[in-house]
Amino acid sequence: MRRLSLGSRLALLFAACTAAVSLGAGLLFNRASEQHFVELDQQLLSGRLSLMSSLLAGVATQEQLATRLPALLNELSHQSDLALRVRGADGEPWFASRGELPQAPTPTGLATLHSHGVDYRSLSAPLIDGQPASPQLTLFLDITHHQHFLQGMQRLIWLTVGLSALATALLGAWAVRRGLKPLRQMGKVAASVTAGSLTTRLPAAEMPEELAELAGTVNAMLQRLDDAFQRLSAFSADIAHELRTPLSNLLTHTQVTLTRPRSLEEYREALHGNLEELQWMAQLVNDMLYLAKADHGLLMPSRQALDLATEADALLEYYAPLAEDAEVHLLREGQAHAKGDRHMLRRALSNLLDNALRFTPAGGEIRVSLQPGLRIVVANTGPAIAPQLLERLFDRFYRADPARQEGSSEHAGLGLAITRSIVQAHGGKIRAECEDGWTRFVIDLPE
Amino acid sequence: MKLLIVEDQAKTGQYLSQGLSEAGFATELASDGDTGQHLALSGDHDLLILDVMLPGRNGWQILQAVRQAGLDTPVLFLTARDAVEDRVHGLELGADDYLVKPFAFSELLARVRSLLRRGASASQDTCLALADLRLDLIRRRAERAGQRIDLTAKEFALLELLLRRQGEVLPKSLIASQVWDMNFDSDTNVIEVAIRRLRLKIDDSHATKLIHTVRGMGYVLEERHD
Repeated sequence: MRRLSLGSRLALLFAACTAAVSLGAGLLFNRASEQHFVELDQQLLSGRLSLMSSLLAGVATQEQLATRLPALLNELSHQSDLALRVRGADGEPWFASRGELPQAPTPTGLATLHSHGVDYRSLSAPLIDGQPASPQLTLFLDITHHQHFLQGMQRLIWLTVGLSALATALLGAWAVRRGLKPLRQMGKVAASVTAGSLTTRLPAAEMPEELAELAGTVNAMLQRLDDAFQRLSAFSADIAHELRTPLSNLLTHTQVTLTRPRSLEEYREALHGNLEELQWMAQLVNDMLYLAKADHGLLMPSRQALDLATEADALLEYYAPLAEDAEVHLLREGQAHAKGDRHMLRRALSNLLDNALRFTPAGGEIRVSLQPGLRIVVANTGPAIAPQLLERLFDRFYRADPARQEGSSEHAGLGLAITRSIVQAHGGKIRAECEDGWTRFVIDLPE
Repeated sequence: MKLLIVEDQAKTGQYLSQGLSEAGFATELASDGDTGQHLALSGDHDLLILDVMLPGRNGWQILQAVRQAGLDTPVLFLTARDAVEDRVHGLELGADDYLVKPFAFSELLARVRSLLRRGASASQDTCLALADLRLDLIRRRAERAGQRIDLTAKEFALLELLLRRQGEVLPKSLIASQVWDMNFDSDTNVIEVAIRRLRLKIDDSHATKLIHTVRGMGYVLEERHD
């Protein structure tokens, strides 16, 4: 079943509301008019009845009534819609001014009766007040014209209900269509988005308040998609670029080796050369897969309680021989505890230390500071890095030293990117800063 | 020692088979899951090397069948996928180790030897030796040709590893993992430097060298007569 459009729903709702309101108002008015008529009738009837009673005062038998009839009829002739019936104390009908009056014994007080297609309002009272055994007077008022008026009004009410519902449905549909125009506009923009046009944005500032938030959200989504897409494109290009050099080396080296017979030693040497290139490529592919996993949110660090001082010391011990060779002093200060993945955090810190060792000159110092709360700072003395390059340090394949050639067998430039991915997988942040001759990598982890 | 390799990539299977044969193992190669399972259930292998993605039935199904048949042959998985769930799934089913492609053959060989050794009771050696090199594990002392050598704790651990696995080529990643508990691929040359320092103490003043570099593969401790 096809679902109703938002416009139709709203139009129908408007129509239903208008119908309900106008119906309610109509019924209330109808009832009030009816009430008003009853009151008017009662006033008229009771006035007339007391006049009749005074005309017939003292009448106790049918004969006595006959003597008063001319005056009575004269009085009745002034008002053609009135009729009178007189009954004896025993209920015997003495007189009726009209033939087709309702036969049912009318109760005392006001009543509404129906007879021979005519509606009557009747009021009865004993001739002698407070004495039920006296002759009974009943005055009838023909109220057909009232009833006609009420029926006409009811028809008018129904007509109003129907017409107003129809009108609001049509007006509502039109208004909703106009009101939802920004939504259709959003739909149009969304439909026009393709991989090639991720820069399209919705005009959130021109949107009505209710839609501005949605438009903002959609824009943010487009922004994220655009970023991810840009990164992915750049990443693929980088991968191809990075692999080109070692592949080219392998091809050249292998073909040159095969061009003529060589000594065993030369073949061995050629294979070793190839092995180095291949190992470098394998490392690169593994690192890139690791980053791809991080990009897909598949790095799921375990949350074990860690004494970071112990971990840092283990890493410093690991790097100690290298640092001694490079004449760099390694130092850890402070204490901190964290919940995290031991292997991942070791890898992250290892990359930072590795990076620091590359750039610290002989006689320099690398300091790992732990601050509860929770911050890890890896600082090294060394040449200053230009501020605009600091953020780029974490980009894939970015190398601060342009002299370092791509494909050089030692470093692919993914270490700091991996560190950042690990820190982010732990819900933390990393930044680099440079001042007073120190380069600092600051990791802030949630406690 | 007889190994079963179930690998559908013809080249991979052939290279593995050749490499392991030359390392002194008898190998049998199956290239699809059904044959692999049939052979595995014969029970005459000391270790199974299974690829996860196979035609017929996959490596996990073979592992399940093997365990259901009551065999506790060690199983090493090779896979091109490195999803944590995969790893966990494999280990839950009773896999003993897990290697992700691309891996170095030296790494595979070292793992295979570890797994095969695991069955044997852990040696309670108090003293390890090769040629005139001796390592006293109780008094934490090393000596070569009767001369005491001072070693740092990590150097001692490194030498102990080399001695325990003498004759085996140990890749750098395995050394980093076993001695320093660094379980990740890293492109630093920390291990090179550490080995160089150990050499300085063990080998430099002696004519017979014991620590050898196998280029591109790792390091081996052995007495060579050439």
